[in-house]
Amino acid sequence: MNRSTRIAIILAAAIAIAAPVLLVVWQSFLDGPFFARNVHFSLGAFQFIFEDPKFYSALGNSLLLAVGMTIVAVPIGAMLAFLLVRTDIPGGRFLEPLILAPMFISSIVLAFGFVVALGPVGLLSLEVKRFLGFVPWNLYSRTSLVVLAGLVHVPHVFLYATSALRSLGSDVEEAARSMGAGPMRVALTVSLPMISPSLLYAALLVFFLGFELFGLPLILADPQGVSVLATYVYSLTNVLGVPSYQLMAVVVLLIMAITLPLVFLQRALLRNANRYISIKGKAAGQKPLGIGAWRWPAVALISAWLIVTVIIPVSALILRSFLSSWGEGVTLTEAFTLRNFRELAEYPNVVRGVFNTLILAFFGGAASVAVYTMLNLATHRWNSRWATLLDYLVLLPRALPGIVAGLAVFWIFLFVPFLQPFRQTLFAMWIAYTLVWMAYGMRVVSASLLQISPDLEEAGRVVGATAGRVSIDLTVPLIRAGLIGSWLLLFVTFVREYSTGVYLLSPGTEVIGSLLVSLWATGGVDLVVALSTLNIAFVGAGLLLIAMFGKRLQHG
Amino acid sequence: MPISWGNNRGIALRRPAWSVVAVCFVMSVSLQSFAREPAGYPRSYEKIVEAAQKQGHLSIYSTTDAREVSGLLRDFRSLYPRISVEYSDLNSTELYSRFIAEVAAHEGTADLLWSLAMDLQIKLVNDGYAQAYASPEKPNLPEWAIWKNEAYGTTAEPIAFVYNKRLMPPGDVPHTHADLERLLRTNPAYVGKIATYNPESSGTGFLWITQDLQVTRDTWALIRAMGRAKLQLYASTGAMLERLVSGEHLFAYNMIGSYALERQARDPSIGVLLPTDYTMVASRIALIPAEARNPDAAKLFLDYLLSKRGQTQLSAKHMTSVRADVPAPPGSRPNAERTRAIRVGPELLANLDQIKRLRFLKDWRRAMNPD
Repeated sequence: MNRSTRIAIILAAAIAIAAPVLLVVWQSFLDGPFFARNVHFSLGAFQFIFEDPKFYSALGNSLLLAVGMTIVAVPIGAMLAFLLVRTDIPGGRFLEPLILAPMFISSIVLAFGFVVALGPVGLLSLEVKRFLGFVPWNLYSRTSLVVLAGLVHVPHVFLYATSALRSLGSDVEEAARSMGAGPMRVALTVSLPMISPSLLYAALLVFFLGFELFGLPLILADPQGVSVLATYVYSLTNVLGVPSYQLMAVVVLLIMAITLPLVFLQRALLRNANRYISIKGKAAGQKPLGIGAWRWPAVALISAWLIVTVIIPVSALILRSFLSSWGEGVTLTEAFTLRNFRELAEYPNVVRGVFNTLILAFFGGAASVAVYTMLNLATHRWNSRWATLLDYLVLLPRALPGIVAGLAVFWIFLFVPFLQPFRQTLFAMWIAYTLVWMAYGMRVVSASLLQISPDLEEAGRVVGATAGRVSIDLTVPLIRAGLIGSWLLLFVTFVREYSTGVYLLSPGTEVIGSLLVSLWATGGVDLVVALSTLNIAFVGAGLLLIAMFGKRLQHG
Repeated sequence: MPISWGNNRGIALRRPAWSVVAVCFVMSVSLQSFAREPAGYPRSYEKIVEAAQKQGHLSIYSTTDAREVSGLLRDFRSLYPRISVEYSDLNSTELYSRFIAEVAAHEGTADLLWSLAMDLQIKLVNDGYAQAYASPEKPNLPEWAIWKNEAYGTTAEPIAFVYNKRLMPPGDVPHTHADLERLLRTNPAYVGKIATYNPESSGTGFLWITQDLQVTRDTWALIRAMGRAKLQLYASTGAMLERLVSGEHLFAYNMIGSYALERQARDPSIGVLLPTDYTMVASRIALIPAEARNPDAAKLFLDYLLSKRGQTQLSAKHMTSVRADVPAPPGSRPNAERTRAIRVGPELLANLDQIKRLRFLKDWRRAMNPD
């Protein structure tokens, strides 16, 4: 790829990312919707937010949540990654896709699963109460929120840590073992420090996700009056009676103001991190570390995490979808029903919603991988300001909470003339999804790119191929397996996404996620759970595919 | 999330002829002229029907779940098979945001807006977004349900007390607002067990509680009692109903009656009660935007919605009819002298006055947490 192509691709990406972000910035300095007549420049929105005590409490809660869940998620995620990738732990192949499961279930639905299982009258809580006489936990406390949010985000860390660990030769670990270090010591002093850039990046991402966390706090904390930034933004739509975009924009701006320095910090920390790069690309000789008797505690650790984070909420949810009622004083056998699913079949747009979701996830996911790959190739092995710019930019969309991102993308499609014809099509939805998941998708693809040794590419250049030709004939074919893996990950991600597209929906382009939200608002929880069960079945099928082909893919 | 009924015009035109014929018989309309007015409508109505069929299409933005109106839309289509209907259900904020942005972009928008967020609908009328249309159904509607021939209240839904029948002792169930206040003040068993919409994040929740205050200032005592009882606040009906059903909460205040009654139909553990001192009645307001591209099709739909036939369809889904001549499902229509209908009119604009709104929320928060 030559310089001008690279710059052109980066610029195109920059425009696509910056347009909604700049729109939000502009909106924050106005006293009404930017498209209305008679709007003026104003700092009123800033004043309102800065004088609102609820903003500070939401900010405080968000900070607590973001820090807390990073502290919970990073060590567990790193540990799980080490155990599954570098050791001979039994059943690793099947555990791996299961660990990723929480990423792919809509967080509102997952939170609801926790309520059904572990709430004050949850199915499990009632059983425990029968034995102990009381429920030893409070699902609605701040501690529970932080811990659960942390556990739910373990997969994000796991994902980054595994891809880094895979490209790490096992020679160093074996060296440590031969000097007499135990497996734990190897993990803590050799393997994990070697992948600290990836862990740092993962920590940063989890911290960001903490700031925009919506589903869990909405369900678990909001009713008690505990708000975080994302639920605060949500309440701002109504606090003045009419939707107040300028107030939402200000909060988003503040979230960005907090996150940008973090990206800067991360880059500064990694500036002299070239020593890590030398370990990449040498995929030679990985041997799993024998951990002997440690295997069983390790399996217990993984199982405990899986049970709390995946099995309990998901099985509660599935069970709930076969019940007409639940809670204190309900006999489950009497409440059993198939009615929820029967009604789902009668629901006019469910079939189309399911169909659209699958199209968007399958073809859209593939197209997004293509976009991310192109962007990655544009900056691949290129030390330039342009590459730095892209590094910052891709994280920006993550600072937009879902409802704001949805609104901004809708405005762009409505007010930019050449985009208007696409507004009510799945194409618009795909653009929105691709933008919002860019930080994540870029990283997934780049993980496989970094596994290729530069020698190979240089060899291609030496025999006279152009840079573009090397990309097409050498780099991309080499990472084909990694790309298929990324595609599967995006497939499951797109299946669960909804908030981004909420304004782009129209008759004909509805997706499962949006059906869920609409039913949730009007009380159709019976159908929500039935639809979620269906959704989980899809995600499950996707994960099964990963499990079946995953091993083969990783080794290309 | 939206649904569409024959959104492809080509298909709509090729609908089998038998349904057209059947409809013609039912309506005792002559077979030669399909575009005739329904019985009791003025002669000139023919013109609207003709124009609407020429438009052939109708787009509706609504806060009513698509699931609740599938029967209604099917029935409308059987009356006017040449008009394809595109029905998008959105929440009230999305509906408002989407509509005003689309009007500003002149990119075409809905032909009819139908929303339970009464104040936002009235604001749209007041801001000049609606067009006037004198529906021939006007004489059948109560006077409170119409404003300026632009905003039409299409339902009369009670705002109800909802409780968990399985767990709440019958003796405790309050029948008036004063009963409720007393129960919360005197019975510590209800601490953390009651729920309502959060006026800070739910526009309709704000509307109900401020309307309560217009009925009686005693509402402040109730708010204080609820604050002491650690009232749980929700932005959406689903989460609230679910925790009520499970027994996590025992009582939900000011819930939209139709949602609770629909749920009750499948889960008998829900009790729905219309307070006997006064019951507020809210209405889904329909309006035809000035920018509607198919205004005549919208007029047909509005008239159908207000007609006895359309109202019967709504009533079957527990959205109580605004018409006195359509029977209401049991327990969904309060006694006439106890009804406090929220007037479809400019009074609702006061609700959107920012200063008043913020002042109320401040007072409300203080009453909820006195210390």
